[in-house]
Amino acid sequence: MTTRRLRGGRVFDPVNAIDGEVRDVVMRDGRIVAIDPRDAVDEEVDASGCIVLAGGIDLHSHIGGGKVNLARLLMPQEHGRRRTPAGDDPLALADCSHCTPGTLATGYRYAEMGYTSVFEPAMAASNARHAHMEMGDVPILDHGAYVMLGNDELFLELLSKGCEPQRLRDYVGWVVHATKALGVKVVNPAGISAFKFNQRKLDVDELHAHWQVSPRQVIGALARAVHELGLAHPLHIHASNLGVAGNIASTLATMEALEGLPGHLTHVQFHSYGTEGPRKFSSAALQLAEALDAHPNCTIDIGQVLFGQTVTASGDTMRQHANAGLASPRKWIGADIECDAGCGVVPFRYREQSYVNALQWCIGLELFLQVRDPWRVVLTTDHPNGAPFTSYPHLMRLLMDKPFRDEQLARLHPDVAAGSALRHMTRELSLYEIAIMTRAAPARLLGLHDRGHLGTGAAADVAVYREQGDAEAMFTRAAWLYKDSEPVVRDGRIVAAPVGATHFAEPVFDAGVAHFLDAYGDRRLGVHKRHAVIGHDELCACCNGGRLLPSACQARSL
Amino acid sequence: MARAIHEPCHRGSTVAGIVSAAGATQCSMRAGTDCASAGQRAAPPGRKGRRNAGLAQRLRKMEWRKIAAPLETDWTCPFCALLCDGFALEGGADALVLRGSDCPRARAGLAAHARPTVPQAWIDGTAVPAEDAVAEAARRLARWRQPLFGGLGTDMAGARSLFRLASMTGAICDHADGEAMMKGLRALQDRGQFHTTLAEVHARADLLVCVGTQAIAHYPEFFRRCGLDRADSPCRLLVFLGVPPPAVLPPVPTLQIAGSGDLLADLRQLAALVAAAPCRDADPELAGLAARLRESRYAVLVWEAAMLPAHGALGLELLHRVVATLNSSTRAAAFGLGGSDGAATVQQVFAWLSGLPLRTRFGPAGQEHEPVRFAGPRLLAGHAVDGLLWVWSVDPERLPPATDLPRIVLGPPGMGPRLLQAGAARDCVFLPVATPGLNAAGHLFRADGVVVPLVAARDDGLPTVADVVARLVQREAAAA
Repeated sequence: MTTRRLRGGRVFDPVNAIDGEVRDVVMRDGRIVAIDPRDAVDEEVDASGCIVLAGGIDLHSHIGGGKVNLARLLMPQEHGRRRTPAGDDPLALADCSHCTPGTLATGYRYAEMGYTSVFEPAMAASNARHAHMEMGDVPILDHGAYVMLGNDELFLELLSKGCEPQRLRDYVGWVVHATKALGVKVVNPAGISAFKFNQRKLDVDELHAHWQVSPRQVIGALARAVHELGLAHPLHIHASNLGVAGNIASTLATMEALEGLPGHLTHVQFHSYGTEGPRKFSSAALQLAEALDAHPNCTIDIGQVLFGQTVTASGDTMRQHANAGLASPRKWIGADIECDAGCGVVPFRYREQSYVNALQWCIGLELFLQVRDPWRVVLTTDHPNGAPFTSYPHLMRLLMDKPFRDEQLARLHPDVAAGSALRHMTRELSLYEIAIMTRAAPARLLGLHDRGHLGTGAAADVAVYREQGDAEAMFTRAAWLYKDSEPVVRDGRIVAAPVGATHFAEPVFDAGVAHFLDAYGDRRLGVHKRHAVIGHDELCACCNGGRLLPSACQARSL
Repeated sequence: MARAIHEPCHRGSTVAGIVSAAGATQCSMRAGTDCASAGQRAAPPGRKGRRNAGLAQRLRKMEWRKIAAPLETDWTCPFCALLCDGFALEGGADALVLRGSDCPRARAGLAAHARPTVPQAWIDGTAVPAEDAVAEAARRLARWRQPLFGGLGTDMAGARSLFRLASMTGAICDHADGEAMMKGLRALQDRGQFHTTLAEVHARADLLVCVGTQAIAHYPEFFRRCGLDRADSPCRLLVFLGVPPPAVLPPVPTLQIAGSGDLLADLRQLAALVAAAPCRDADPELAGLAARLRESRYAVLVWEAAMLPAHGALGLELLHRVVATLNSSTRAAAFGLGGSDGAATVQQVFAWLSGLPLRTRFGPAGQEHEPVRFAGPRLLAGHAVDGLLWVWSVDPERLPPATDLPRIVLGPPGMGPRLLQAGAARDCVFLPVATPGLNAAGHLFRADGVVVPLVAARDDGLPTVADVVARLVQREAAAA
């Protein structure tokens, strides 16, 4: 039972309203503890000249599952460019890919940046085991996943037949239980399925050709089910029309479709496009920011675009097929999956001199800077879709350093550099706000009450950075990172690589729904019904023996 | 000549020859399920007594066998990448009999394990306790300057531990069927693909084109898994391109397109015809197929890795181009048959851990992926490696390739005597391991990427590949 005291660091802990005060943080047995400052401890760490934050939490990063692995198979050339010599790090069996890192590299690189929890946002129900296996092989980080619904034929059929909300709720609850998910995500509501029926676009009030239901109905039904089941994380929404000029209309309509129920709109940068200007492609960041003011039930993460090579991996087959012509290099993978989901993997190179890419970069930053309440914005690049997660420190500096931002803006396509509203935005995010967007807000949005803060009793996931003017340099290498009070990073180098834990929700639902599912049989489930539910023992095997962290759900009524 | 077969075969007797007791109108999916549950519900009279007698005899014969596991009536077959479930196994340790399917591949897999051999580890042919063999294997492995990990017939857990050992020893890794698998991988790396899965084929494929493969020759349950024997199957036509149709066909209209005998040439023509590009001297049958593909709502092009000709990756690129062209106006997808015996599984696990697929070396310059240069057979033939760790937990019959290089072999107990018989004991350490889905639980990847859990049909008290490799990892780590 080692007691460690981080002495003399400036603490940023928004949950407890601590904004840069110099104070000690003491850890013991995996928890933050309060002890008398004069008490002896086993290990005293001099954190003077450092800032101390809770471990970072990424609530939307594609770190595991079928499509992530397809991206790795598609992009072997990514590994040829930089090779780390063996023996560089005794723990690192890891690779050096920039945008398609293996799970080991994923864990190490996140930890080096001071992150301790990462959530896979797009787990296909039919292949949840695969997602859990990959996440289990991401060392150090705690993890969890949102299961995709709203394109599974069963849900659409139920909805089209006017199934009562309680039964839909039970079905959603059963899927969360069966797949050991933490939350529920919908991707292009009904659109992935519609693409299987050869529909090429689906607006919020357009009908699925076969099931005759609209995305609005899907959003409404799922948001209600998630709310009634008492899942902590609101319905996670990848809205219709990703990447389409003018899609701000469908994004706003999606917010309306929630009818006041909680919803988290993800990678909104890709959904905040207008049709103004000579190229009929413009920023609608302000409109989205204003809509957020009008919809207190909604939260967002950004999905910031940064320049360079990456690969986009999405469940949105419909939109990925439409964008496949822009693939760079020119190749892509798509799949229809088990009457349940889809996937599209399209390599992308975001270029500063591309008008569209440059504007995407601006729109993301405008969103960060224009939404007033940082508690409703989470910092993401939608790894790897907007940029690899390793560019977070660069993004943080862009948000915190106006001259640096202007310098970058000047390098972009001249029409964007000259015309962007970003030029006039003087806001620079504070460390406190960064701590909200990367720790406190995602923890609150996921219902992780003992994460994302440094109050007594919280999990001792603590990141310490050497304070310096250059935020990018500061956040690239944590001076220390503690995971459950044990050191895992020292001076930006991995010193231990424990297996992370798995977060999942345990909603209460009418178990009778299982009988009803039996009637649908193998034809819907893809695998034998005996395998439909992942039990705790199997989850443990999939997750490499990491701890299981179930969270109870309190059922709610409308 | 095109040969349209409009007479479906008898409904009760299906592709895999499942005969439904309930009569000719019942589909085999139902029949299969019925058989499985019948096995669970009502064993024929007299069987129980026989089983008990047999059990006592087995327990006398084989002290090493810890527990006599109960009959597993809900079994998932590990013997090909379709990983069929819903079948039943009857009998005990020495004769597991399949009920619900007469899949020859499943039967062969079970037959190979029919009379379990007493597990015996050995060093250079001399029987030793298992831990001594592990220690000696670790010593030898540490001496090799460039090991090759071959076979790789294992499950997810085995792949996880093999990855660790490979990283520690700088090994190059290739699956026993790596040559076939690399064709699919290289086409994917160069062009990408659009693929589909069994449930999708079952639900919406109205045209199924088997390209250069009979499909059921190596994947006997495939058409049943596609639902072609069901009255409600959406499939209107099954086409065999460049191969004769198999003898037993599912009850859907079938068309044979002989082609030119050169699959690559035929695919090139088909790609042009589907795109309505100029195509001189087009084969009218291929033109007809192109028209049908364009008219279909959801066409699926089935290919089989092991049946592709030389330079098969080029053919696959053409196949993927056909799919891509179709997807610009209608819907289509590819379905690849392959990845059996752990190939798909190890490929997936290595790709997620390292970011790179098999045929990768964990060398001093970091990881190098060389899909051609790092072919296992090529490395062995050229003595580019100085030792072979061969892992094959699938069946005892497929032995490591003949080589004069030192070997460490992990295989089912029955492989040990076969190695000795084959005169392969010199400079070889043998370690018996369990077979996932037979006498160990585990997870395998299906041909279409879905992870399927396996249950143990019996418990022989054998260590898994993951167990044995973990011991090797420990010893390597201690030595380092």
